[in-house]
Amino acid sequence: MFFTTEAQRHGEMRSSRATLPTTYLMNVKLILLAAISLPLLTSCEKDITVDLPQAPEQFVVEGTIEPGKPPFVILTRTQSFFAPTDINSIANMFVSGATVTVTSNGSTWTLDQICSDLLDSSTIVLAAEATGLSVDLLAAANICIYTALDPSHVGVIGQTYRLDISAEGKTLTSETTIPNPVPLDSVWFKLALETPGDDSLGLAWARITDPDTIGNGYRWAAQRINHRANGEMKDLNYISPLGSTYNDKYVNGLTFDFNEIRGQQFFGGNPEDNNAEQGFFKVGDTIAVKAMSIGRKEYDFYSTYDANVGALGDLFSTPANVKSNITGGLGIWAGRGVYLDTIICVP
Amino acid sequence: MAQRHTVSGYVTDSATGEAMIGATVFIQELNKGVGTNNYGYYSATLDDGTYTLVVKYIGYAELKRAVDLTADRKMNLKLSTTVQVMQAVEVKGEKTKSQTESTDMGRMDVDVTKLQTLPALLGEVDILKTIQYLPGVKSNGEGNSGFYVRGGGPDQNLILLDEATVYNASHLFGFFSVFNADAVKDIELIKGGMPAYYGGRTSSVLAITMKDGNDKEFHGQGGIGLISSRLTLEGPIVKEKSSFIVSARRTYIDVLAKPFINPESTFAGSGYYFYDINAKANYRLSDKDRFFLSGYFGRDVFNLSGNQPGSPNFKIPWGNATVSGRWNHVFGPKLFLNTTAIVSDYKFSFAGNQDQFGFSLSSGIRDYGLKVDFNQYPNIRHNVRYGFQYTYHIYTPSTVAVNSGDVPFSIDTPSKLNAHEAAVYVQDDFDVTDRFRINVGLRFSFFAHVGPYHEYITNAAGDNIGFKDYSSGETVAQYSGLEPRVSMRYTLDKRNSIKASFNRNLQYVHLASFSSIGLPTDTWIPSGKNVKPQEAVQYALGWFRDLKERKYEGSIELYYKDMANQIEYAEGASPQDGGNANYDNALVFGKGWSYGAEFFLKRRLGKLTGWVGYTWSKTEREFPAIDNGVAFPSRWDRRHDVSVVAGYELNDRWTFGGTFVYSTGQAATLPVQRYFIEGRLVSEFTQRNGFRMAPYNRLDLAATLKNRPTKEVTDKVTGEVTTVQRKYRSSWTFSIYNVYNRSNPYFIYFATEGDSGLSGLQLTARQVSLFSILPSITWNFEF
Repeated sequence: MFFTTEAQRHGEMRSSRATLPTTYLMNVKLILLAAISLPLLTSCEKDITVDLPQAPEQFVVEGTIEPGKPPFVILTRTQSFFAPTDINSIANMFVSGATVTVTSNGSTWTLDQICSDLLDSSTIVLAAEATGLSVDLLAAANICIYTALDPSHVGVIGQTYRLDISAEGKTLTSETTIPNPVPLDSVWFKLALETPGDDSLGLAWARITDPDTIGNGYRWAAQRINHRANGEMKDLNYISPLGSTYNDKYVNGLTFDFNEIRGQQFFGGNPEDNNAEQGFFKVGDTIAVKAMSIGRKEYDFYSTYDANVGALGDLFSTPANVKSNITGGLGIWAGRGVYLDTIICVP
Repeated sequence: MAQRHTVSGYVTDSATGEAMIGATVFIQELNKGVGTNNYGYYSATLDDGTYTLVVKYIGYAELKRAVDLTADRKMNLKLSTTVQVMQAVEVKGEKTKSQTESTDMGRMDVDVTKLQTLPALLGEVDILKTIQYLPGVKSNGEGNSGFYVRGGGPDQNLILLDEATVYNASHLFGFFSVFNADAVKDIELIKGGMPAYYGGRTSSVLAITMKDGNDKEFHGQGGIGLISSRLTLEGPIVKEKSSFIVSARRTYIDVLAKPFINPESTFAGSGYYFYDINAKANYRLSDKDRFFLSGYFGRDVFNLSGNQPGSPNFKIPWGNATVSGRWNHVFGPKLFLNTTAIVSDYKFSFAGNQDQFGFSLSSGIRDYGLKVDFNQYPNIRHNVRYGFQYTYHIYTPSTVAVNSGDVPFSIDTPSKLNAHEAAVYVQDDFDVTDRFRINVGLRFSFFAHVGPYHEYITNAAGDNIGFKDYSSGETVAQYSGLEPRVSMRYTLDKRNSIKASFNRNLQYVHLASFSSIGLPTDTWIPSGKNVKPQEAVQYALGWFRDLKERKYEGSIELYYKDMANQIEYAEGASPQDGGNANYDNALVFGKGWSYGAEFFLKRRLGKLTGWVGYTWSKTEREFPAIDNGVAFPSRWDRRHDVSVVAGYELNDRWTFGGTFVYSTGQAATLPVQRYFIEGRLVSEFTQRNGFRMAPYNRLDLAATLKNRPTKEVTDKVTGEVTTVQRKYRSSWTFSIYNVYNRSNPYFIYFATEGDSGLSGLQLTARQVSLFSILPSITWNFEF
């Protein structure tokens, strides 16, 4: 089988977790495919040119608001699937000059636009950390994000926030609420033993007690905050691996353990993502864990996002667009309750 | 008015005792004929007089019998195969009836004996693959279970093996059918104008009759192929009263592949195999009573065992089992009864574990059925059939279980679903005038989903807010409807006839498919509170013509079909949605339609036989929940479909076969736009099935070398040399699949490459094909 999905290539499915059936079922497809071709050993594949129809451009919102943090909004546009992928093309995705407001309890904050061409090199690193965008990209192109510089404009648990965006004649709206954070009972590191005798690579584990109310949604993120030999921090920001979105449909009110692989950025290029360490944490790592609580629409977005990214072009799945909570565009405006913890990786 | 009496009896093969299905008993003086039914029984009620009965069946010597009809007469007619040494006068050709004569619309018979000389994938002779060469029947090339008839889905075909429904007719994800051709006597495909006797499916009927077994002497046949071997044994239990046949097959890919799999590799210890067993026995109590017991059992087993700590283990078995018991009873010369009791079972399960986590999924269906079918022959112009059918269904739509160590997740096992399905029907094949014949029928069907059933009640957001429990036998939902069926033939002259048909069919079971490729994960779902029965109304019109003294026959058929209450999974649905929810929660409903023209030209007689078929058709669906209600091409929409099948008998040793297929590419849904969230690429899809893959085309060739059918024996005493039939015969079949090595698309996916920084990002579309040129060799024997 010479077939990989984007998710596999990034190693994110490498050690599939069985905490919820979703991940398993993604694997089921791959296994069935392997079953087809393994015994026959005759499958082959080739590059082809596909002529895709044109579709009108849409705006895509990636916005979050968390307790004690200002809102962050990135506004991009869709591109034709096979559009060029050079840096100009990518930079052109970002929409600048938009008017972005966040309204809560009758007061409206107009968000400030911060563009990377105004940032010096050390601020770019901070911006990369805040947005998840790579330093290279931020330095090479003028990329604008929208946030509130006023320190009093930060998220509060239980509050509902309305988002209004207008740019290039389009208007987009959405609404989200920051749910109560759900703490993890404990977090730890455990060796994966993927290869015999390995004594350094492992996964992050956690125990959670789901509150006895139906409809809780969760998303996990982690960041290695220790440094490489050259002094760089291993991860510049929190990363959610694919398939780290859950709800309590099957686990309502239960206490149970789950594990997580190490996620990686598409635009990342971490040295550890190209060797055996891909997908794993390592003895010696310090992991900052961010367990987020999310609402139903946000759960729908992140879970369909995980599936969509993981199944890139895979005809074994029902084609499914990501379920957005944005009216007038695509993407997400997510209020997230946050619980933070730390794991020191020891065998 | 003259006295009338009846001549009736069975038509059988004189050498094997096998009942001859669909043979015509021709009354020479009246220029009229009656056909034998599925058990070889015929009955003709005529004015008293002297008649000559003529039975013709290609490959058999013509049989003439005089009958002096002054009282009811029983005449069992035994046909002999044309003697091999009389090669010169033997009529070679297809053992099927001319289409021009029958009233049947859209009905095709497949000659089983021809199958073995046609090329087959890895030498595995395959009934389902062969019917896909007929016009109006479409396949999806390799790797797709099921076939599509006139715009209908794979779940809309009624597949019967000795009257028992077979739910999943393929092994290995559609590469091989479950029917072992060695044990099959008769194959009948009805793609339109379905008689009222058949029901419960909206698209087609594929009725397969197993051999009864030779009731005179013991015989066997078998074969050794590249991936499997098979053996069939048949013979009398009590001579000319009772016989049996047993046929078994098993693949050995798993055994052969083992040495080539590196024991260090992650998935060493994995394997796949399938096996199946057909068995049948019958007992003739008297000329009035006969009993049959037939069974099929088949399993596919796929194991994946990672041999390292932390790697996953999976076990995926699935398969069918059917048992049917039948009783034929002749009440009088004009009334024939067949009663069938049926058990049919299909199961798919999947169990996996990794680390401390376990996961299992299973689905299936079990039927208990009874069919009572009367054949009445009041006079030579009428052939009336009536009866009732009842089935108790037990469905397991999809059961999921997950655990982490000892903590089971609270996924309710969705209760099994129970349902009654029943039908009464009456039909008459009526010879109105010498030119006009009509088959008119009416079927009334009934379906009830009954408890026990645990119904979840949800709020608008989809959260469960309560439930309602139905007690055992309590009706949850019920449906019923009338299904009128008419097909007629008008003979223009000796060589031309026009046929027309109309039918309405209801179907109370649905196959929901998650992927664009038929997998055993597809789930059978019964009609119920939200899932209305599927309905199809079909109109067809055809012109049939015999050419060159019936050496050739040709036809043109036009059809239009409307389909209501079709189902699809909602966008993004996946099997685990089945937990803690009603079984039908992830489905969306819509309608569909299909129309087309089918052209068919067949050469029936001669050394060269075969056919050319061409179909132009269009099949679309419209679902309010998909693409905002814009019509989209169905997955089995093919604008053009061409098939060519040819067989050539060079001499009594060499036979050649060839097949060619071409069809418009499969429709697929591909992303049109992309965007990025959290730095990852997200695909945005537009129109469902808006993209076409490359056309499918393939040429296969086969050559069969038999040993001579006869040998010369020298009498030791007299020294006289005589030619006798060989008792033991064998043959070699050499076949080449995909002769010109076409890379036919199986599916398309997108690959991304270059993740270090943005500039390296490469998106490419890649097409996966399954089989390149693939030669095979099979050794067959019979004795």
